[in-house]
Amino acid sequence: MSFLDYDFMHRALIAAVLTGLAAPAVGTYLVQRRLALMGDGLGHVALTGVAVGLLTGWAPVWTSVAVAVLGALAIDVVRAKGRASADVALAMLFYGGIAGGVLITGLAGSTAATLNTYLFGSITTVSQDDLWVVAILAAVVIALAVGLAPQLFAVCQDEEFARVSGLPVRLYSMLIAVMAAVTVTVAMRTVGLLLVSALMVVPVATAQQLTRSFRTTFALAMLLGVVPSLGGVVFSYYVDVAPGASIVVASLIGFVLAWPAGSLLRRRRARRSVNGEDPRVTGAHVPTEQHPHQHEPECGHPTVEHGDHTDYLHDGHLHAAHGRHYDEH
Amino acid sequence: MRSAVVDVRRLRVDLDDRPVLHSVDLKVVEGEVVTLLGANGSGKSTLVRATVGLVPAADGEVRLFDTPLKSFHDWWRVGYVPQRTTAAGGVPATVREVVAAGRLSRRALFRPAGKADRAAVDHAIELVGLTDHATRSVASLSGGQQQRVLIARAAASEPDLLVLDEPNAGVDHRSQEAFARALRTFVASGRTVLLVLHEMGPLAPLVDRGVVLDGGRIVHDGPLPTPPMTLTGPPDHHDDHREDYGAGLFG
Repeated sequence: MSFLDYDFMHRALIAAVLTGLAAPAVGTYLVQRRLALMGDGLGHVALTGVAVGLLTGWAPVWTSVAVAVLGALAIDVVRAKGRASADVALAMLFYGGIAGGVLITGLAGSTAATLNTYLFGSITTVSQDDLWVVAILAAVVIALAVGLAPQLFAVCQDEEFARVSGLPVRLYSMLIAVMAAVTVTVAMRTVGLLLVSALMVVPVATAQQLTRSFRTTFALAMLLGVVPSLGGVVFSYYVDVAPGASIVVASLIGFVLAWPAGSLLRRRRARRSVNGEDPRVTGAHVPTEQHPHQHEPECGHPTVEHGDHTDYLHDGHLHAAHGRHYDEH
Repeated sequence: MRSAVVDVRRLRVDLDDRPVLHSVDLKVVEGEVVTLLGANGSGKSTLVRATVGLVPAADGEVRLFDTPLKSFHDWWRVGYVPQRTTAAGGVPATVREVVAAGRLSRRALFRPAGKADRAAVDHAIELVGLTDHATRSVASLSGGQQQRVLIARAAASEPDLLVLDEPNAGVDHRSQEAFARALRTFVASGRTVLLVLHEMGPLAPLVDRGVVLDGGRIVHDGPLPTPPMTLTGPPDHHDDHREDYGAGLFG
């Protein structure tokens, strides 16, 4: 009998595709901002949310979203303050999350086995209701990650420049943190809370071995997130291991395979691109293309004194008379 | 009379509760090229950062284009080049992608870049002489080339004011030359420049006015004193000029 004959496998595979797309999409921004470990911390915090669900009987998907989002906002505030003690504060938040989760789970009378299904994923436990929540959240995260790509790219690349561009940097920064928190919850049933960060970071690291633009890194990372997610879930069907482990190992194998290709590629590019600067800016003599117009002091083109002669500003270039033609200056 | 583009009045800035600028006045009018000079820790960088709103004023006022900073929203009119050693982030990005970020102040949300946006980005890249490198990853460029990428990014919004924080720090001679040319083209169209410099280098002929800071106060504001030159350079000056010497021989 094939794994496709089971309804639970259908649900697990759909969840895996959504997770595989959303985690690297958010992960690309986290890596760009050099916050690769943020997903890890949020996973810890979300554990307390799961435990609150187990204790109260509310759906753990919702309680973990709520707690992870609160944690994400707290992290963002601490980060924005930029104090020297920020990383210690974050460490306390993360370990508090794990300890709180285990403690509350114990109070709720649940076993470590239950907790394990959230920590490392479990293909048999994705319920129909869970799947709806996961699908909607993942769709929102992916839509924002793609739709706001220019703005999020600018904020993650250079926060100060983005501020001087008039972008609401604090808002975008919080948005990224909240998107990461939501992704952690989306991924909880497939890779699990302890390993979700790997699915945010490893596909991005693999992709950037081979790419030189942000756009292709982003797209390739999403592809490299989906393939191991599907593979890992199927593997877990045949071999009884937590899907989180098989997904992350598959993802790491991808990285190991891409690495030699990447170093080869980089060496070839480096060899090709030694020179080739625009001679205009290096001071070489560059005559302008056909230029029938005769510049003179009254011709209306703005003039600039340049050492011993006058340049004329023409269509964004500076023209200087040189014999019978003009040079680009 | 030309209107004030930057107008700083009695500005005090505190960093970590320590005053860094004391009652500083600075006015830059349209078409002017003003450079801030001073030793490390003199407050010159803080002054430009306060001018673009990156550090809050503890007292006094900053106005850009005759608008108080708080109610200033036309950020596309300001092109800012922060002090950076690299233009690269944690993920690869091409020269074009980084420069295109400078165009966002002119673009609406959830809309793809239009024809004018793409043309402005191309033009900004051309301005700094990196057209042939537009699709390369910024991390693979030299430090000077990366600095030029940041300048192109600032120019991409076609701003009326360029604010540059030490754009020449640690930049090779060729890139300094390229930067001077880009700046000349920019200034030639009547626009305004405020920049922090550690040393003047090839930019000296472009600068209208120098403002020298010391200990958070302005100690000189006016034309730059040109030291009397001797055959070996200015008499009271002991900078390392080996690079200039090389450039004179081979350039």
